[in-house]
Amino acid sequence: MNQAAQIIIGGLLEGSVFAVVGLGFALVFRVTDVINLSQGAFCVLGALSAYTFEETLRWPVPLAIAGAVLVTVAYATALGAVTFVPALSRLSHSSMLMLTAGILTLTTGGMLVLWGGDPYSLPPLSGERPVELWGIHITTQGFWIAGTTLVIVLGFWFLFTRTILGKALQACAENPMAARLMGIDVPRMALLSFALAATIASLGGIMIAPIASLQFDSGNYFTISGFISVALGGMGSFIGAVSGGLLLGTAEQVAAGYISSLFSDAFALALLLATLLWRPRGLFTLGRSRRIDVRDDVLFYQAIVRLNGRGAVLCGVAAVAVLMALPLVVSDALLGSLVITGILFIGVLGLDVLMGYAGQVGLCQGAFMAIGGYVAGILSTTYGWPPLAGVLFAVLAALLAALVLAFATLRLRGVYLALGTLAFGLVIDSFDAGMMNVTGGPSGLVGIPPFRIGAFAFDSDRSMYYLVAGLIVVLVLALLGGMRSGFGRALMAIRTDQMAAGALGINVVRYKLAAFAISAVLAALAGSLYAFYFRFLSPEMVGTPRSFEMVTMLIIGGEGTLVGSLLGVALLTLLPTMVQSLALYKTFAEGLLLVLAFLCLPEGMFGGIARLVSRAAVRRRGNRLMAEAGAGREVQ
Amino acid sequence: MIAALEASRLSKAFGGLSAVDDVSFIVPQGSLTAVIGPNGAGKTTVFNLVTNLYQADKGEVRLFGERLGNERAWQIAARGVVRTFQTARVFPGMTAFENVLAGAHMHLRSGPAWQMLWLGRVRREEARLAIKAERLLELVGLARFRDAPATDLPIGGQKLLEVLRALMARPRLLLLDEPAAGLNDAETAELASLLRTVRGTGVTVMVVEHNMSLVMGVADQVIVLDAGRLVTAGTPRAIQQDKRVIEAYVGQEEGFPDHAGG
Repeated sequence: MNQAAQIIIGGLLEGSVFAVVGLGFALVFRVTDVINLSQGAFCVLGALSAYTFEETLRWPVPLAIAGAVLVTVAYATALGAVTFVPALSRLSHSSMLMLTAGILTLTTGGMLVLWGGDPYSLPPLSGERPVELWGIHITTQGFWIAGTTLVIVLGFWFLFTRTILGKALQACAENPMAARLMGIDVPRMALLSFALAATIASLGGIMIAPIASLQFDSGNYFTISGFISVALGGMGSFIGAVSGGLLLGTAEQVAAGYISSLFSDAFALALLLATLLWRPRGLFTLGRSRRIDVRDDVLFYQAIVRLNGRGAVLCGVAAVAVLMALPLVVSDALLGSLVITGILFIGVLGLDVLMGYAGQVGLCQGAFMAIGGYVAGILSTTYGWPPLAGVLFAVLAALLAALVLAFATLRLRGVYLALGTLAFGLVIDSFDAGMMNVTGGPSGLVGIPPFRIGAFAFDSDRSMYYLVAGLIVVLVLALLGGMRSGFGRALMAIRTDQMAAGALGINVVRYKLAAFAISAVLAALAGSLYAFYFRFLSPEMVGTPRSFEMVTMLIIGGEGTLVGSLLGVALLTLLPTMVQSLALYKTFAEGLLLVLAFLCLPEGMFGGIARLVSRAAVRRRGNRLMAEAGAGREVQ
Repeated sequence: MIAALEASRLSKAFGGLSAVDDVSFIVPQGSLTAVIGPNGAGKTTVFNLVTNLYQADKGEVRLFGERLGNERAWQIAARGVVRTFQTARVFPGMTAFENVLAGAHMHLRSGPAWQMLWLGRVRREEARLAIKAERLLELVGLARFRDAPATDLPIGGQKLLEVLRALMARPRLLLLDEPAAGLNDAETAELASLLRTVRGTGVTVMVVEHNMSLVMGVADQVIVLDAGRLVTAGTPRAIQQDKRVIEAYVGQEEGFPDHAGG
């Protein structure tokens, strides 16, 4: 009984922080309709700054806390003003989701540079001695956490029910255009909500730091937990965020206390998946439903990249020649990185079909890699299957999983689909780590044999390189054939307007499933090759961070172009290996590049290059067309 | 001859508010039928009922003699019934040319797997469709926008593009929802001649339209709706002289287009 109470109180305390992060999510979502994934990073930034002020600079505690909050708010405001707010009017909601993921990565990477990879812990505000209440030990910090949460919740309630400012914030969410016409400065309100959310996040982080040590990447955890809280409770609802947070914290602690700490996430995630599928608007939302537009992503297509035939063929032949000649000129170390680049590119190719062409945001590519890698690896290690059979079986397993996921999420669109796939990815993550006996748990699956076909073993970098390069040539050619024909047009049609696509006789369900299937099959293929190449597989090699990295690679390289993403993959894979001293800056650079790509280069690196090479290849939206038409020139 | 579209006693209410009330009409094959009526008369609702975007509360729809059940949009299109939408719904992220090509989806004989194999017959089929699409673009004067993003076209161009896209689907019954809304005079003239050409090829056309001169110029039959009820149906000449029509529609609205209606 005592133990149960102890666990529940621990869960409620952890849940309070989730609730605070969740409140930030709800606030930004209410004002801008965007799910702001950067939230968790501000928790950590607050806590780490407080550590520096308090422990390194020896400031008095209240001053240190005030200073830390101030630093976080200043940083969030500045960053929000140059990234989040200007992007609001240009990007679709699912692209905004990815942009905030970029801000999260950028901030996390920045903290790695400044504070290093060590965990930090703050001293409790009121000493170490726990208070004993009815035989239950409660840390004094618990009261600080509960108190802070309560004050924040009350503050929110007051702001939104009692003040004009709250009404103005509310109006921005309900109808930005009308709000603008009423004289409300919508961008300023958006920035205000972003900064306010960062403020409370930093407070939450500072309060939890004494009982949970934080490091640069703890933000991912807070973001995911906070987002699960709001998704459980209902996206824009403050009460929902708080109840969702408390529920999640308790569920995690109970699962950790009674089942296994490795599976503590799985339970919460299963809860989330069920909620998304059963009540996408959350458990605690009553009556108030948001209007969801039929069309998604209309704003996103600022550029269309099309290469004309002859030039493309020439470039293709040249590219294949370079691909075949590369191993003769590069160093051995670089060849290894090229193999990794190639393997990841296969996975990103699949993602491009799903995201770039079919417009379905998939945040679980890493999970399909995991399914592929673990199934193939386990079959060939534990059960002694020939690697080729293992790969085929792994691809089938991923295909099956993808079809189940696609069927389950058919109703979900845009951001909700992103959340559903993210939840699926996180569930697979926790299985990778949790099923110790089968997958080797967090320390990984060892002893995977090299890939072999018949008697030939691909046990050198060079043989693996040619295997991967050959696969890439075949896959790119096949996908190019499909994407520039009716298949590609059908996918692009359902990308933005499922109703209009259906009216033309396009079977929307079938093509969505096909896109999911292709992306999963290619990811599984990449995952199994990855496992055979390293002869080892661990959860972090194929987890959710990998999913985000692959999305980043795709967007930096250029969506909807198939070959463009190779540039993104190469950039993010080769740069850190070629310049070892840059490894520390890798996360930071990834985030920065993603944010910059969204803001400055919506057609990606490939589109940018295509624009330079041939002026007709990329059409940016704007008045240029009208000018050309006016000049009476035929537009090529 | 079996009618292309036969609606019997259709009714649809939204939360107690009757949008379409006991409406019956026949669209003969090969005809060009216009549906007119003031805003809120239920014109678009009728379109949505015969394409299963809404389920009717009461009544029955027959398409070429076959009863409409709860088919999905793509299954209705497969029966040869293709529609456009009130607001231009071209596909963003695709060029004008690709938008038109997308309309031919149902008539592709090779599936995705064959397309990925780069088979000769796939390429030939694509080339054949490309010629057809280009010809259509030329017909309405949009050829110079061929490779422009469809969403960059002026609104009139986008509406015409949507009609071309529907034509590529080779419909037996073409449903056009206010195709002339947002078109300038030159584009309206293009549309009128396009509609005559289409009817000339034997396609049945049903069009919701506010533009009276367009309707009276090209329609064989005019159906008049008001407040969800059928007022009358007849030839343009008969309609123009019908007192109830003048009261219900022309008298109030002067027949000028208003895009917000439905």
